[in-house]
Amino acid sequence: MRTSFVFSEVVTGLRRNVTMTIAMILTTAISLGLLGGGLLIVRMVDKMQDNYQSKLEVSVLLTNDVSANDKDCAQQPCAGLRSALEATSGVETVVYENREKGYERFKQIFEAQPELVKLARPEAIPATFRVKLEDPARANVIVQAFTGKAGVKAVNDQGEFLGRLLDVFNGLRNIVLALALIQALAALLLISNTIQVSAFTRRTEVGIMRLVGATRWYTQLPFLIEAVVAGVIGAIVGVGGLALMVFGATRVSGDLFTSQILPPMGMLDVVIISPILLGVAVFISALTGYVTLRLYVRL
Amino acid sequence: MIRLEHVSKVYKTSTRPALDNVSVEMDKGEFVFLIGPSGSGKSTFLRLLLREEVPSKGRVYVSNFDVAKMSRRRVPRLRQSIGCVFQDFRLLTNKTVAENVAFALEVIGKPRNTIVKVVPEVLQLVGLDGKADRMPHELSGGEQQRVAIARAFVNRPLVLLADEPTGNLDPDTSQDIMLLLERINRTGTTVLMATHDHSIVDSMRRRVVELDHGRIIRDDARGVYGVGR
Repeated sequence: MRTSFVFSEVVTGLRRNVTMTIAMILTTAISLGLLGGGLLIVRMVDKMQDNYQSKLEVSVLLTNDVSANDKDCAQQPCAGLRSALEATSGVETVVYENREKGYERFKQIFEAQPELVKLARPEAIPATFRVKLEDPARANVIVQAFTGKAGVKAVNDQGEFLGRLLDVFNGLRNIVLALALIQALAALLLISNTIQVSAFTRRTEVGIMRLVGATRWYTQLPFLIEAVVAGVIGAIVGVGGLALMVFGATRVSGDLFTSQILPPMGMLDVVIISPILLGVAVFISALTGYVTLRLYVRL
Repeated sequence: MIRLEHVSKVYKTSTRPALDNVSVEMDKGEFVFLIGPSGSGKSTFLRLLLREEVPSKGRVYVSNFDVAKMSRRRVPRLRQSIGCVFQDFRLLTNKTVAENVAFALEVIGKPRNTIVKVVPEVLQLVGLDGKADRMPHELSGGEQQRVAIARAFVNRPLVLLADEPTGNLDPDTSQDIMLLLERINRTGTTVLMATHDHSIVDSMRRRVVELDHGRIIRDDARGVYGVGR
């Protein structure tokens, strides 16, 4: 195999239908960018789960009556609830947080919004049991057992909230991946079409090659490499676009990341997923090229 | 060198066979004209030898290739031992004369130093020395056909198939091309030429195989195009 020959054929081919090549590269880039976006969201969701899972608590909010009168949880029904909670299997720790402490905590959380703190009265904050479970997924046991008991206003499962948040992200991921799939289909058809056009414009060469006994690989390889080169360039452009978007996103929503509400997504994550995108690009373009040559182009 | 045994070829789109029970043998070093009206099966005959087509029935041998039965992977080997020339030359318009000839060797993976050596030799053989760097459109029809012949012959094939090689040329130029084909034939290459050109067939006095409606109706060792035609 003379590599210089194959290489020059590839360059000629890509140059000869440059508009098609650009369309192919852009479509591939967008498709891979979306795929990369989906993968980034997957990573983000994973990180979020890791971050929060260990901190998840069930909050048992107590009625106003208890909150106002029982500072140390020494009386009934508070003391009874506490021992009942502690006796429940799977419960790791139970911490009683009275109204004052709850207010302090509220002030701390909303430090950044003083107007909100000013509005809130301590009387609005209920005394709370913060229940930590060995397995946060089993929170519904507590929710079921303690909702409606005397002295209990409500039982909040943070896991449920996190779950809803994760659902939003997973939904977003699915949308992005679906778009990536549609775009990938477009890229696929474009690759296939470009190869057919390319083979058509070079039919004289290909005809002569067949006639003088060039092997199948010799005739097909330039077309395949053409597709793969376009795919790789598409992947590079896609990764570049993704990096730019992540960079932009960290600039805009810097606070959201630094406050640790959302796990930070950085260039490192882009770097980590880029080999996957590159691999997908090479695999898809080579496969599409091969199948196209087999099915549509007589070489 | 070339042997067909009871070969029939029926195309899917046609009920009448393009070739109908054809058996014929051509020896190494022979010069054979394949004649007959359009649609008589000449092109199908040539395409079968190249394995562009597979016969519906019968067997085809070229050299020691069992053409009809060979695997696809071996087809390039067969084609490397057959040279082809056509009425329309089929040169690459964006390559020079030398590049056109070299192309045939490049695509079968011949090393650079071999190509550099043999291309000028074959250009000299066909009488094109000094025109290596010309583009095809700068050449006359006869010269273009010489380039095509050089390309077909540069890999020293066992068989040279020529499909109406003089069809686009004036009589004098045709005569020159025939002299060139004769010279190639004298190197031991079997030449099989499909043609309509009466005067050439009549003047050469070589073996003539005539096809009509897919059947061989004549096979003369030193024939003419046809009596009374």
